[in-house]
Amino acid sequence: MKDIVITSKRIKKEGRIVLICFIAAFVINVLSIILYKTPWMEIVTQLGYVVVVTIGLYVLFFFLRFVWWVVLKIFKRKKTKTGI
Amino acid sequence: MKKEKEVDVSLRQFIKNIGYMTGGAALLAGTTPWLQSFTPDKLEEIKKERARVAVIGTGSRGQYHIHNLLQIPHAEIVAFCDDYQPSLDAALALCPKAKTYTDYRKLLENPEIDGVIIATPLNWHATMVLDALAAGKHVFCEKSMALTMEQCKAIYDAYQHTGKVLYFCMQRMFDEKYIKGMQMIHSGLIGDVVGLRCHWFRNHDWRRPVPSPSLERKINWRLYWESSAGLMTELASHQLEVCNWATRKIPESVIGTGDIVHWKDGREVYDSVNVIYHYSDGVKINYESLISNKFNGMEDQILGHKGTMNLATGKYYLEDETSSKSGIEQLLKQIGDKVFTAVPAAGPSWRPETKQAYTPHYIVEDRFHVNDGLSMIGADKDGSDQILSAFCQACITGEKGKNIVEEAYSATMLCLLGNQAMAEKCKVDFPEEYKIPSMKFQ
Repeated sequence: MKDIVITSKRIKKEGRIVLICFIAAFVINVLSIILYKTPWMEIVTQLGYVVVVTIGLYVLFFFLRFVWWVVLKIFKRKKTKTGI
Repeated sequence: MKKEKEVDVSLRQFIKNIGYMTGGAALLAGTTPWLQSFTPDKLEEIKKERARVAVIGTGSRGQYHIHNLLQIPHAEIVAFCDDYQPSLDAALALCPKAKTYTDYRKLLENPEIDGVIIATPLNWHATMVLDALAAGKHVFCEKSMALTMEQCKAIYDAYQHTGKVLYFCMQRMFDEKYIKGMQMIHSGLIGDVVGLRCHWFRNHDWRRPVPSPSLERKINWRLYWESSAGLMTELASHQLEVCNWATRKIPESVIGTGDIVHWKDGREVYDSVNVIYHYSDGVKINYESLISNKFNGMEDQILGHKGTMNLATGKYYLEDETSSKSGIEQLLKQIGDKVFTAVPAAGPSWRPETKQAYTPHYIVEDRFHVNDGLSMIGADKDGSDQILSAFCQACITGEKGKNIVEEAYSATMLCLLGNQAMAEKCKVDFPEEYKIPSMKFQ
C-alpha cells in the first residue's frame, strides 16, 4: 500500500487557507451584526457559527481547487497527446 | 394578598400608571384629551365629596356597574329604577338602602340625585339620555349611543346646549393598555398606520333564559331590530372607537355583508358580519364578527409599516424583528431561502407566505388583563370601573370630559352605517348631515 506523504509546505498552505476562511467567516459575522442590528456580543457568542462557516468555506474552496486541478490535469493530458 | 381579579378603582393609581404624574402630560393630552380632567390636584379637591347617583336599568350590566360603584369612594348609590322586578330585587340585594322606582321619569324628579347611570336596552338610550339632561342630571349611558343616526345627532345637539356631564361607556378609552398602546402608536412606534383589523369571535347564541314567552323581546332585546342594532352596536362599537382613536380620523365610506348563518332561532339581527370601512387615504378597517366559532377570539390590530399593535391582547410586534435569531443565523437562513426555496416555475415573487413567528412585546409590563370576550356583562379591568369613577368625579366637579361624547358619537355612527351598508348591500358614504366639527376625514 502506498504511503501518503503530506509535506510541511502543504500543511502550511492548508493552514493559511483555513486562516483566510476563518477571517472571512468572522467578517461575515460582523457584517450580519451590522445588517440585522443585533448585539455586538454576537462577535463572541456566535464563534461556533463562525467555525461552522469556516469549515463550509474551506470545503467549498477545496471543491473549487479540486475542480481546477481536474481541469488542469485534462488540459495537460491533451497537450501531451497532441505533442504540443 | 391581592386577588388576581380584584377591581382596583383607584383613579389616582390609574392616572399614575399611565404616566400623568411622571411627565407624560403633553403626550396624554394629545392621545387621551378626556383624561385632562383628572389631574391629581382635582382628585385632591373632591376627596371628601360624594356623587349621588342612580342606576336606571338594573339587569346584568346595571348590576356590574353597581358592583363597581360600591367600590368607588366618591360615589353614593341613592336610587334604582327598573320595570322588571327580578332585576330590581337583585340590585336592592346589593345596596338595600337605595330607593326604588319603576318609572325613570319619577326618578329624574328626585332632587337628591346628581347623576344617572343608564344601562337599559339600546332603544331606550336616546329617550332616557335626553330626558335626564333636560331634568338637569349628569348622565352616564351604556354604549352604544342610540339605535338610530337621528337619535345620535339629537343627543349630540342636546349635549352642546347643556351644562351637564355626559359619558358613554366606551371603556377602552380608560383601559391602561389601550391608552399606553395609543401613546406608542401616536409616537410612531409602528410607523404609519396602513391598515386596521378588528374581529370579535365567540361561540355563544347570545340568548338569555326567558321565564315566560311574553318576556322574550324584553329579555333578549339584543336579538331584535326594534331594540338593538346587533353585533355592530353591541360589539363592534368598542372596536371602531379604537380605530378612530388610533387613526385620529373617520372613514368616509363603508361596505359590508351580514347574515344569520348559524343561530336560526327566530332572531332578526345578524350572527355574522363582515364590514370594510374606507379612509380617504386608502387605509381600511376590516371588521368581522361571528358568534358560532370562537377560534380567533377578540382582537384589535393596528397595522403599521414598522409594526403591529394588538391592543386587545396587550402586545405589539415589530416588523424588523421577526425572529430572535442572531445576525449570522438570519443571514445564513436568508441565503438558504434564496438558494433552496425559490419556486422557479412561478418566479421569485411567488412564495407561500405563512405567518412568521414574531417576538411579542408587552404594552404594559407586570399587570395587565386580557378578556376572553365571552362575557355579555363586562370584564375585570377593562376600563369600565375607571370610566365610571371618572364620571362620578365629574358629577362632583361638573367638568365635562373632553371628546368623550364625540368618540361615542363617531363610533356609533360607524356601527349604524355598517348596518345600513349590510341592509342595502351597497357602499354607503358618511352622510354630510351627520358630520360634526370634531370629525376629520382627511
